[in-house]
Formats: sequence, C-alpha cells, structure tokens
Amino acid sequence: MGIQEQYRSEAAALLSSGEVKLIIGFGAGSTADRRRPLFARTPDEAQKFVLDAACIANLSTYLVTEGLLSDGKKVAVFLKPDGIRSVNILISEAQLKPEQVVILGYAIDNAEVTPLEGRKISDFSISEQIRSLTPPPHILQEAERIEEMSATERFEFWKEHFAKCIKCYACRQVCPMCYCRRCIVDVNQPQWISTSSHTLGNFEWNLVRAFHLAGRCAACGACDRACPVNIPLRLVNYRMGKEVSDAFDYCAGENSNQKPVLASFKQDDPETFIL
Amino acid sequence: MSEPFEPKIVAFVCTYCTYAGADLAGTSRLKYAPNVRIVRLPCTGRISPMFILKALQKGADTVLVSGCHPGDCHFTAGNYHARRRWTVFRALLAFTGIPEERIRFSWVSAAEGAKFAEMINDITDETRKLGPFTQYQELQKVIETQSSY
Amino acid sequence: MTRILLRNKLDECIAAWQKAGFSVLAPVRRHEMSSFGEVQKVADMALDLVLTERTIKDKFFPQTEPLIKYKISKQQIDSETMTPPDQKRVFFGVRPCDASGLAIDDPLFGWDYKDDYWFRRRDNSVIVTIACAKADDFCMCTSVKLSPESTKGADVMLRPLLEGSGWQIEVCTERGKALLEIVSSLLLEGNGHTFPLPQVAEKFDVEKVMEWLASKENFESQFWKDISLRCVGCGSCTFLCPTCHCFDIQDEGDTYQGIRRKNWDSCSFANFTMHTSGHNPRNTQSTRWRQRIMHKFNYYRGKFGVNSCSGCGRCTRQCPVDMGITETLQAISNLPR
Repeated sequence: MGIQEQYRSEAAALLSSGEVKLIIGFGAGSTADRRRPLFARTPDEAQKFVLDAACIANLSTYLVTEGLLSDGKKVAVFLKPDGIRSVNILISEAQLKPEQVVILGYAIDNAEVTPLEGRKISDFSISEQIRSLTPPPHILQEAERIEEMSATERFEFWKEHFAKCIKCYACRQVCPMCYCRRCIVDVNQPQWISTSSHTLGNFEWNLVRAFHLAGRCAACGACDRACPVNIPLRLVNYRMGKEVSDAFDYCAGENSNQKPVLASFKQDDPETFIL
Repeated sequence: MSEPFEPKIVAFVCTYCTYAGADLAGTSRLKYAPNVRIVRLPCTGRISPMFILKALQKGADTVLVSGCHPGDCHFTAGNYHARRRWTVFRALLAFTGIPEERIRFSWVSAAEGAKFAEMINDITDETRKLGPFTQYQELQKVIETQSSY
Repeated sequence: MTRILLRNKLDECIAAWQKAGFSVLAPVRRHEMSSFGEVQKVADMALDLVLTERTIKDKFFPQTEPLIKYKISKQQIDSETMTPPDQKRVFFGVRPCDASGLAIDDPLFGWDYKDDYWFRRRDNSVIVTIACAKADDFCMCTSVKLSPESTKGADVMLRPLLEGSGWQIEVCTERGKALLEIVSSLLLEGNGHTFPLPQVAEKFDVEKVMEWLASKENFESQFWKDISLRCVGCGSCTFLCPTCHCFDIQDEGDTYQGIRRKNWDSCSFANFTMHTSGHNPRNTQSTRWRQRIMHKFNYYRGKFGVNSCSGCGRCTRQCPVDMGITETLQAISNLPR
C-alpha cells in the first residue's frame, strides 16, 4: 500500500473512531503541480487527502488558529520534520498541549515520500535530523555571499529587496510561530513599526519579524514561498538561526521541553562586543 | 557657513548601575561630551530592540545600551537576558547592513563614573569621524518627499 | 485604415514619446519580480509574460502615499498638501485585465468626491494594451465577461502579429489617438494577420453566482465557513488585485510634526473592522472571506453596475494556500439550487 493510501485509511479510522475531530492534510490544488491544505471532518472527506512530494507546506500553522483547540479535543495533522519541529517549539512556548496533537509524519527525500514512525509528538526524536537540516544550497550560497559584502553593500542588497515589500503580512500569516493575538506592527499606542510600505517601514517590519523569530524559526521556508514579491526571507531567518546556534549552542524544536533561547541564559554566554 | 557635524548619541541605560555611574561622573565634575541623550530604564532587560530602531529612525547617529555587569544586576538576571538579546540583534543588524559601529553595548557599574565619561567621549569622537548615519536617515527623507508612483 | 507598429520601430517611438514629455513604462523583470517599470528601449521590456506579478494599480494608487505634511506649534498647525506628480506616462504592454481594473475603479474614486490623487495620475497616463497571446491555468477573464482582447480601460489596443514582428493598432480613445499622432510617421498602413487569442475557458457561471449572492438567506450559509477554512488572512490577494482599493489613513510622525499617509489596507486582515471598543463585526476569517466575495460581486455591482473583478487570476496564482476567487465562485455556481 502506498503511503497515500496508508495515511488515507489511517485518517479515516481516526475520524470514525472519534479520536480526532479534524484532520489537516493536503488535497489536490488548482493545477496539477499544486497542493492545498485540506480539512477533513468525516471518513469520506479523508479519502480526498493527497500525499506526495509536492506536499511541502508547513500545516502546523493551522494548529494555532484561534479557538481551534479550546474544546480540548484532538486534531491530527500531516507534518514533515520541519512541521514536527514547529510543534515542538509551540509546545515549549505553551501554545499547544501535546496530548491534543496527533501527527501523521512523513519525510520527502528527492521525490520519495516515506512515513515516519510515531503519532504523539514525544514519539519523534528529530534532534539529529534537525541539526543536520541544512537549508537549500542556494540559501547557503546567498548567505555566504552576503557575509563577504561590506556593510554598505549589504544595506543596498536588503534595500532593494525590502523596497518591494507590500506589507501583505503573508509571511506572518503562514508562519506557525507568528501567533500573537496582536502583532507588534498592529499596535498603535505607540506605533513602533510603521505600517506604511515605504522602504524604511519595510525595513523595520522585516527586521523586527526576523528578530522575533530568532531561535524560534523552524526553517520550513513557508514565509519565503508565501511572499508574493519574492523577498528571500529564508536568508535572514537562516542567519538568525545560525547565530543562535553558534552563540548559544541552541537549536529550536529538538524536543518539546526546551526553554526558549531568549527566555533563558547561561552565566558564561559569549560577550565579545561589550565595552 | 555650515555648522560642523555634531553627533546625536542616544544612550539607553539601566537605573541601578549605568545611570548611577553617569550620575557619579556628574558629581565628580568629570566632563563628558554633551552629545549624549540619556534614557533611563529600570534594567537593561527592559530594553527592547524597538527602542534602538526608533532611536535610529528619529535621527540618532549612534545608540549606546548600557547596564550592570553580569552577576550584579539589581533584578538578578535582567542583564543576562539582555546580553543574549543583544548578541542576536547585533548579528541581525550586521547581516542587513547596519554598521556595527552604530550600536554599542557596555557594562558600566555605579562606581564607574570615569569609565562612563571616557566611553561617551570616545563614542562621540568616533561618531564624529564616522559622520552622520545617513543610510537610515536617507530612507527617512524619502518618506517625506512626494511619492513618485 | 488600420495601422501597424513594428517592433523594430519601438525604440524610436519610445524616444519620440519621451521627447514629448512622456515617461514610458512597460513590463519588466527586476529584482526577481515582474512589474511595470520605466524603460528606455524595447530590450528592457519583458513582453513575453502571461502577465506581470504586480499590477499597474500601484502606479495610480501607490501602496503608500503622503497626503499632508503638518507641523504643530503652540499657536497653530501648518499644513502642506502633497500633490501627486504631474508626470505624463505611457503604459505600454498592459494586459486587458489590468487595464479593465483601472476602468472598474474609476467610478469609485469619483464617487462621493473626486479623488485628485487617482485622477491626476489617470489623466496624465495613456494605456496601451496588448491583447494576450497566451494564458495560463489561473486566467479567468472570460468568466467575468471580459476577454483576452477586451478594450475596457485601453486608450490604444495592440494585437500581436502572427510573425511576432509587431502589432496591429486599434485606437480606442482620443487620448490614444493623440499619443499615436506623435509617432504617426513611424507607423505603417496595413492589416497584418494577428496572433490567435488564447482559449480561456469559462471557469464559473457568473450570473448564477450573482443570483446566489443576492439571495439574503445565503448570507448565513455554512458554505462560507467551509470554503474559507484554509485562508490564512494575509493581504496577498487584495494587494495584487487590479481592482481592490481599500486604504487606511495613518499619521506618521511625532508630537510636533508628521505626515498623513494613505496606505493599502486589506479586508482579509483581522483588524480591518476592529472598533476602538474592541468589538470586531468580522472577527472570523469566514466572515472576512464572505465580505470579499460579496463586495466584489454584489455590493460593488449594486453601486457601480460592474463587478469588482477583472479575471486576472492573481488572487489564486499568488495565494500561499491556493485559494482565490475562482474556487469559491466555481463552488457557488455548482451548488444545488
């Protein structure tokens, strides 16, 4: 039985037994190469699930939809390792209860999709997988190219990209870690970040979002894919992840018991730049 | 005749160490550059990167953030959290091209009035040499002009 | 007598238009994004795209625009109105859907008062539409009663010649006629065979959709909740739509001075209808999605006699979760009656 059929019947079983109230997975998209998030509440609807190498979105973002899990019931969700990582981070930040999430895990290797063993978040030990999870080569190359630039060149690079930003907040909306009821950019007493999409306002927004994700980003790339004006958001989030890893030996999402990196400290944390 | 460039330095400092240190510099009659504008907060742990960005946006040429030495924080651990935050924020600013010399961090205790005065003088001099922080302020100027399209 | 514009004459045309004081904008690929930008020659243009990722809307209704500059002192408030530039522009290579988007928004910006910011730019611009030679799976102009050769909003319509050597010209307005006068010596008399139009299949029955939307009992239908489950509430579809026009007025500045700006806003945002009391009449994504569809195909039509949709398909093309107008309207037109 292929993995798609296997997970379809598993999903149908979870729904008919009443163990979960909802399953979040993938369905066929508007074109042959697209997949879209699909929500199934009945075993029949579960037969529409699709699972193949085109299913790359991080569906964990739907788990933090306001009110979804407040009835205490369970929800199942199709997740790759980056999605599982997101769930770990969300649990460690008290946004999810581990007993409410059933994970139908899968991994994509080249064009092959394989199931992952486990159903509860604690079943998955992805520390090693995450630590070795390098972003796509083009991201690494771009990051290295930027490191070689002078400060002025870097500023010009980002100015060019951030000038395109239209403040649609697609990056924020698809990100599982952006779950604040009221995002800082929507706060107007005082208005910390300009909502206007001039280059300065765009710079502020993107910088602050990157900072708020430092040490929390699961490197799923959803922000990058969602951006309608093709800003390389993965680059800056990758750099933040690297800093946190280099400076504090911390990798977000290895398990659900980690203390968030900026909410904890070590007495001997590095301080190379302090006068 | 155009006026020579006088840097604007904004310093976010904690109450119990650096502010007290600055106070000591004053009572000891130590002279330090008047370019600095001091903003007092209870602890460096309270300092959000928003403050630094706002200061730059409003025309600061250099921003200084200063607090108690590790282990001496009046609130026990505020400066430890701040230190982690600064490490990350500094990497972010460097990566996006905001020169590292424009944001400085220091530990200045309540007894280090001389250190504070010297540090302000050094930073002011260096900033005078670096010149105004035009790249950020140019973005600000663009906002104030009529929109192109 | 029909005339032809040859591609190899376009550089001279651009120069002539520039000499007459026009800025020439055309589809370009810059910074990993396709949009309309200023060009100096045909080699700068990207005319092979189905359509540009960004519309020309932001050239008439910028995503952020200063309205008033103000200074507050003890005795008074000094303010200066910031007017849009008076630059004349030629938009060369606009798609019929994008051109019709401008025409669809005109009644709104001239509704209860004439929006100078919009009309000053409109009056200074000439739209040269090029009929489509290809479409993709997301195009749906025919479903909203437009077409790959619709002249709505166009001052000049160009139809690509079969050999790819240029375009057949159709003058649509006086403004278009005046623009062509400037380059009349560079144009050829003749017909030429035009490239066949792409087949854009109708994806939904818009009459059925409007009928369903007009019926009051469907307002509370469970349909709205089911169809909008995966919408994440970003503003991509609204900001990339040629007809969406909502904006927010923001004062940016400090205690003593500032600038009042007009910024794009989106009905998909959670805070779009947030009241200062904290009450939000549209506090679920499904109510916001419903509002979007109702606005485009019911409320706007009721006020201005036209649907607020040009069928370009960008909403689905760019949606991070593959939503967009098409799926919803298809579902509505397929609902059992």
